[in-house]
Parts: sequence; structure tokens; C-alpha cells
Amino acid sequence: MCVTAKPSITSIPTANSVTEAKVFAWLEQSPLGALVRSLGVWSYGVINLVHILGIILLFGSILILDLRLLGAWRQIPLATLSQPTTRMAQIGFVLAVASGLPMLSVKTTDYIGNPFLLIKFPAIALALVNVWLVHRTIAWRAHRQRDLVPAEQRRLAQGAAFSLAFWLTAITSGRMIGYW
Amino acid sequence: MSLLLRAAFAAALIATPAYAHHGWGGQEEKVSDMTGTVVQGVSLAGPHATMKIKVANEVWDVTLAPPARTARSGLKEGLIPIGDTVTVRGNRSTEPGRHEMKTIYVRHGKTEYHVYPDRE
Repeated sequence: MCVTAKPSITSIPTANSVTEAKVFAWLEQSPLGALVRSLGVWSYGVINLVHILGIILLFGSILILDLRLLGAWRQIPLATLSQPTTRMAQIGFVLAVASGLPMLSVKTTDYIGNPFLLIKFPAIALALVNVWLVHRTIAWRAHRQRDLVPAEQRRLAQGAAFSLAFWLTAITSGRMIGYW
Repeated sequence: MSLLLRAAFAAALIATPAYAHHGWGGQEEKVSDMTGTVVQGVSLAGPHATMKIKVANEVWDVTLAPPARTARSGLKEGLIPIGDTVTVRGNRSTEPGRHEMKTIYVRHGKTEYHVYPDRE
């Protein structure tokens, strides 16, 4: 598939694209792929629905927390907002992964050479690294015990900006996969 | 409403295809027929039902309607045996070297499966 006349990254068989093809073929031939393909004509739509619900929970919660960290709704204490939003985001992420893998496994090899997939997954990885880095900061660890000093607020605002950029990139490229 | 917003709405209206889900952009305007032998039978899994046919030594990806819609047209998995001859009508990909057709109907013997009757 996707042998284009114009020179592009996707049309040149490199070591990377061979590895990609192998991994994709493996996922498609896995028991998960076989299971999802056997679940009937509405299964993909239903799994897709769970994926959307997961993303709604994930990004909706992240958006509220990140905007707060960037300076919105200062009258709401950060500690009040951070607990429910991070918990809902965690649940959303689990739902998105648990539905995303089955969707990908149905016809994985269809996505060989799809550039949006190669933007989406690194963006998710960067977003998770960012979460990890933010949660390690003194500011994040202290925000439930005391008010933050301006430098700490700036550190969290920085993390929030990265967070929005990475998650929006992941969601945008994810949505575009089907249109390639 | 600002001019920019109005322009955006107008552009969105013009750009919105009448067809459901992912548009048929990237496909030829013209409808063509292809006759070939089935190398991979109908699959009703995924966002669209699919099959693969061999036409003049080239394997074509035949993209059908979403699974439920394809099934409603009567086309189910296992109905068309591998190796049988079928004729498909649809719009081929405009991408050079990409053998893919978004399919309007499939004819197998005397049976026709109209997956997108509104596009005929």
C-alpha cells in the first residue's frame, strides 16, 4: 500500500518502516485483533464510542486543570480542583488506551505509512513525560499543603502549557488518522 | 458576526460533503467498473467493510460502506468465496500507485449489493 510516485518519507522502505510493518502485522494477527473482528458489525462503532468518552474525560479534565494552572479561576483553590481533575483524567486515559488498542488491532496494517499515527504516539509519550515531570516538582507536591510562591506557579503554568500542546497534538493527529 | 467567522462558515458549508463519515476526497470524480477475482473475502470489521480483488495482476483494496450498512445491503462475510469473479463500481483513489476503490456496489454473479445506492 501507499507506493507513491512523489518522494516522501512514507514511500521509501527504510529500516524503520519495515519494523513498523512487522509490529503492525503482529498486532493485527494477535488474539486481540481476531477477537475484535469477530464481535459483529456494531463493535467498531461501540469501541470508538468508548474511545471518544475516554478522550472527553481525559481532555476535559486536563483542560480545566491546565487553564487553572495558567491563571484562570484563581478564586478556586488549586488543591480543590487538582484532585478530581487528575482522577478523571486517569480514568479517561485508561478508557482511551483500553479502546484504542482494540481499534488499532482490527486492521492494523491499513495504517502502515500513516503519518498521523507517527505524530500521535510520540505526542502521547511527551504528554506522559510532562505529567511525570510536573508531578515531581516541589510546586506540585506542595500545592495541597500550602499556597505556592510565584516561581512555583510559573513552573506549573509552564507544565500546563506543554500539557495542552501535547494533548491537543495527540488528539488532532488521532482524529486525522482516518482521513489519510 | 465578524467577516472572518462568516467566511469560515461559508467555507465549511461549501467543503461539507454530502456523504457520511470520511469524505470521498482523494478519490476520482468519475465512477469506474472493475472486474477481478476475490483474493480476500468481505470483512465486516473496522470503520469500513473491506475486501481485496485482483485485477490484471494488481491487488485492489475495495473499501465498502461501514460494516452495519454493508450488512444491510445483504453483503455478509463468507457470501462471496475467494477466487470468485466480482465486478465492483466506485471511485478509485487519485493517488498514483494506490490501488483502492471506494465502492458503490458489488456484483457477484446475478446478485448485486448496493452499499451506497444514493451514490449511483
